[in-house]
Amino acid sequence: MDQDLVETEKRRKREINIDPGLQWSQWQLLDSILPTGGFAHSFGLEAAIQARLVSGPDDLQNFVIHLLENTGSLLLPFVYSATMNPTLDNCQKLDRILDATLSNEVGRKASVSQGSSLMRVAASVFTELPSLKSMRDVCIGSGVVSFHHAPVFGIICGLLGMDSGTSQRAYIFMTMRDVISAATRLNLVGPLGAAVLQHRVASVAESMVKKWMDRSVEDACQTAPLLDTIQGCHTYLFSRLFCS
Amino acid sequence: MEMEKGKVVVEKVRGKSTVIRSFSKYPLKFITPRKVGSSITDAVWIYSLTYGGGIVSGDSISVEFTIGDGCTAVLTTQSSTKVYKTLGSKCSEQVLEARIGSGALFVVIPDPVTCFSTARYSQKQVFRVVSDSSLVIVDWFTSGRHESGEKWDFELYRSSNCIFAEGNQPVFLDTVLLEQSSPVDIAERMHEYQVIAMVLIYGPKLKHVQDQVQENVKRLMSQQLQIPSTRLGCCAKTNSDNCLVRPAFIASCSAFGPKGMGVVVRVASTTTEAVYRFLHHQLAGMEPLLGVSPYS
Repeated sequence: MDQDLVETEKRRKREINIDPGLQWSQWQLLDSILPTGGFAHSFGLEAAIQARLVSGPDDLQNFVIHLLENTGSLLLPFVYSATMNPTLDNCQKLDRILDATLSNEVGRKASVSQGSSLMRVAASVFTELPSLKSMRDVCIGSGVVSFHHAPVFGIICGLLGMDSGTSQRAYIFMTMRDVISAATRLNLVGPLGAAVLQHRVASVAESMVKKWMDRSVEDACQTAPLLDTIQGCHTYLFSRLFCS
Repeated sequence: MEMEKGKVVVEKVRGKSTVIRSFSKYPLKFITPRKVGSSITDAVWIYSLTYGGGIVSGDSISVEFTIGDGCTAVLTTQSSTKVYKTLGSKCSEQVLEARIGSGALFVVIPDPVTCFSTARYSQKQVFRVVSDSSLVIVDWFTSGRHESGEKWDFELYRSSNCIFAEGNQPVFLDTVLLEQSSPVDIAERMHEYQVIAMVLIYGPKLKHVQDQVQENVKRLMSQQLQIPSTRLGCCAKTNSDNCLVRPAFIASCSAFGPKGMGVVVRVASTTTEAVYRFLHHQLAGMEPLLGVSPYS
């Protein structure tokens, strides 16, 4: 029995063959305490509630699953490409394509807001990556790049030395984390119920990652047109808690 | 497989937009009636038909449109495009590529695509514009023969719409993919909505239409969205029935492109008729440019 445990531990250490310093950076990047303003966005959940599309925990679970699938099909290609090729050129190219792809104004503004925040924070925090700061300065200077969230996240992961599988999985994780958090603030579910839901959906989220990972941005598509329509209604809400 | 593309070219002839070339391969056919609407407006109307009234498994249809400088052309259908059930795993495909010249207007206003049970359908539309081109594109589809109970029963539906400006700059890139093999089946994703529509209005000539549509959609939806209340307060109002009922029609409108040159409207509806009415109302402002009001 003890021998099995030792073998398991050895295998685990071989599998996680990364610099422990990277783990600390990874965890910090995924920690909700990182001040990137992710919690100002509900991913269309607030609008869906006001349109009575989501009214309870079952609806919420379905909403989360549809959202994660759509995030996978639409945004993972950008995270993937940015992680594999975290250069200034690719950053500008991906940003331009994503800006044309996010035709939903609410979603587009949310992406830019989160992306610029993340870029600013990362440039200050990860000082061992001077290219982050210089990329940011060049892009701001040129005025052309919008700093969309998915490519920015991918670039930071790539520069930190994270593999693309991890960065794509992390992106889906963050989306799930943020939408469930929004659900608690919208009183759809309590904090404990939210945690239970998050774990219950984790295996579905993993299958989404496996299904949509490692694709080209030319193949980016949306798989939840109803969600896209309802998220676009966010600006029509008379009274709202979230930005999107 | 389809090698030769269909081709339609519209140019000014004696000052009027005219189809100077029209070629299509089976099963597609183009008809250009001599006169549609008032003779004062300069607009040529082109109807696209499929032999047999629908698209059969494995059909591949590809067409190129060239709309010359200053021309106005309208592409429409005579009835809903039906996509019949699939044989094997073949996918039916339609591709439209269009080049729109300076000061030209291209209006694509078809009836919706209806995919029958087990159908597999893919369509791609690419529009290449210059700085003062204008476009109106309606792209929509239904859940199937929903009155007969066939709802979201097709295998695959994919529709891609792209607008590129000069220098191949992407202005609008959108692909909708609905596939039955997902962990979440299509019907569940759509709730009780049976029709999905998208309207693109792009270009400097159409600012007045864009502004009006933005305003209309905002007004329409603001009435539909409300914070649900579990207390009596909500149900005590006169429209207490609306409390727990989802809107039968949802629409949202977003600006896109450089300097907000375009507007995209997304619609989800429980009935096809409601979408026809909506399209007719929103595009009524196009009548002076086209001679006839779309979807009348």
